[in-house]
Amino acid sequence: MIKHLAAAALLLSTAHLAIGPAVAADPGITDTEILIGDVEPLTGPPALLGVAASIGHKIAIAEANAAGGINGRKIKYVLEDDGYVTARTIQGVKKVIDVDKVFAMIGISGSGQSIAVMPVLEKSGIPTVIDVAPVKFLWEPPRKNVFVVGQSYEEGIIHLINFLADKNPGRKWGLITQDDDYGITVRDGFDSVVKAKKLNVVYSGNYKKGQQDFSSDMLQLKESGAEVFLAGGIIAENIAMMKELEKLGIKPVTGIFWPGRIEPVLKLMGPAGDGIYAVDYVEPFAGTAGKAFLEKAKPLVSEAEFKGINRYTMTGYAAAKVLIAAIERCGKQPTWACTIAELEKTKNVETGVMAPISFGPGVRFSNQKLQIMQADAKTPSFKPVD
Amino acid sequence: MRTGDYKQTYGELVALIDSPPVWLWSAVLLLALIAAPYLLNSYTLSFLMIILITVTGALGLNILTGYTGLISLGHVGFLVTGAYAYAVLVSKYHMPPLVGFLGAGVVPALASLIVGAPSLRLKGLYLAITTLAFSFIINTVILEMRWLTNGARGIQVQRPEIFGISFDSDAAFTYLCLAIAALTLFATLNIRRSRVGRAFVAIRDNDTAARVMGINLHAYKLFAFVTSAFITGIAGALYGIYLSFVSVEGFPFLLSIEALAILIVGGLGSALGAVLGTVLIVLLPEATRLVFSLFSAQMDATFTTGAQELKSMLYGLVIILFLRFQPRGLVGAWHDIKRTWVHWPLRY
Repeated sequence: MIKHLAAAALLLSTAHLAIGPAVAADPGITDTEILIGDVEPLTGPPALLGVAASIGHKIAIAEANAAGGINGRKIKYVLEDDGYVTARTIQGVKKVIDVDKVFAMIGISGSGQSIAVMPVLEKSGIPTVIDVAPVKFLWEPPRKNVFVVGQSYEEGIIHLINFLADKNPGRKWGLITQDDDYGITVRDGFDSVVKAKKLNVVYSGNYKKGQQDFSSDMLQLKESGAEVFLAGGIIAENIAMMKELEKLGIKPVTGIFWPGRIEPVLKLMGPAGDGIYAVDYVEPFAGTAGKAFLEKAKPLVSEAEFKGINRYTMTGYAAAKVLIAAIERCGKQPTWACTIAELEKTKNVETGVMAPISFGPGVRFSNQKLQIMQADAKTPSFKPVD
Repeated sequence: MRTGDYKQTYGELVALIDSPPVWLWSAVLLLALIAAPYLLNSYTLSFLMIILITVTGALGLNILTGYTGLISLGHVGFLVTGAYAYAVLVSKYHMPPLVGFLGAGVVPALASLIVGAPSLRLKGLYLAITTLAFSFIINTVILEMRWLTNGARGIQVQRPEIFGISFDSDAAFTYLCLAIAALTLFATLNIRRSRVGRAFVAIRDNDTAARVMGINLHAYKLFAFVTSAFITGIAGALYGIYLSFVSVEGFPFLLSIEALAILIVGGLGSALGAVLGTVLIVLLPEATRLVFSLFSAQMDATFTTGAQELKSMLYGLVIILFLRFQPRGLVGAWHDIKRTWVHWPLRY
């Protein structure tokens, strides 16, 4: 009997440790601090995206803290790794909301992860600004507490193909896409312009995610006689494609999409990447705004973090600026309701890294203005195209 | 005075629970699980949901690998098939959730019949490779059947409502997971003590001897494979509902390895082992983080910002340590503790 009572006592003690305290209304604020939470892929291949976005958040937070914080309260950034695993994203978001008790959320992993986590965000009612997942589901229908800074993949690809089609009339086209959600979106956008502009598509390929060798695909592209090529890979795939085209001795007019528009990719492509076109809604680092951003970022982050800056740093920075500004407008006693209302009132907020950001009643998507840029392999950088 | 764990009748031998204290503690555990959704916060509750879903899947795999001794590296294929079957039936064709769950079991079971009929004549590594190939093929089939599965775009899945009871809240969904996990546990325990279960174990221990005893090896192996796929499919449906979004990307190959790790760590061939293994493997990274966070905030930050890499390392380390020091798994360790507890202060 004593043994069973001892075991029961042990069990009750463990249970007591596992049970958390009751949730208070609008948590994450003390007299001196405001907590902002984020879940990103910080390990594994997508870390290139997640780490860069988190650096953007850190820059915006460091900038605000250097200026005295939000109405006297310093911002504390709570960052969690999900490794790009959907189940872990859900748990990560629950952790920062329920255990770390943050006041607002920012960022949030990739598109599939953001879609999966949407019910959690909606039920919690926490003010959230997403900056790395441009899929329509996130803002259609609009959710009261979830705002998205960016542009949809579909609009981006339509903008790029229209530009290339206008610049290269009557040419033969080639396209290759990945066999996932991203690839389908790229293809759908491409197909809509093909129909509208009656483009002559002579090669249309599809590759399996993770494919390394593109020799046969690029040989088929060469044999098709394609003169304009949309490389629908992301990072390693686009590098492999361009290197293969260089080997085959052909240089079609090539377009890539913003997930792969980062400077290390250009470095790895070498001369093969010279002159490729890209579409994006953030400023290129080679432009005046990009240089100014790097100057601003340098003293605010560590040397290692500075090296990890890419376009996703800008998207993260812009979203964090919008969120911080909304909380700040709520004055000394910010609440979730006030922050959401102020986010909705966001009108032409200048961040310096993309066009001004606006939301509105029932509008939860900032719909950023797109621009075309071209790669310069020597620098290596992307420069705006007039 | 009770001095050992002796069985004197056949009934005692096949009894699910053989002593009043076990009944008592099982009831306490059940009550604790029923109370948990009202006591735990949403984050802690998410671990309970994951544990219950994983227990269901691990029990399914345990029928094949633990009881029958057949290794499958592709069980994630049945998991994803079950999730898609539920999503297509419920979200796309608006069938009742119970029909969805039935489909989540039947469709992987049919798939396992197609894969199993030719491949179960193979043994050991060959079967493992065949099942591995299946998990890749099924992903390609799902991606190509866009008209049915939405391809790579995936399918949204809502929390179900069954007989007018909504399972929309985390607490309610936990009860659904608990009910299914408990049913699966009872089903697998009953299979184990039935004629079929004994045939499975006979095949595992010595298939030549089993054949001599009149067991149809191919038929029983196929039955184990189909049953295992059925249960794994149900777990897939629950996992899909938990994720609220079913896509091929949500079911990485690593889940197959995690499932095998659970069986090894828990103790092969034991339902209790599958449960204990699941609890350990699911909670290990969080428990390690909690322990290290007691020492320094820096270590806590390392765990939260590099969690996935550390998680993979921890899994590898735990499997190696168990294989080296406790090959019978947690269930073996549990039996040792139980024996010591019962006999203390005597050694035997």
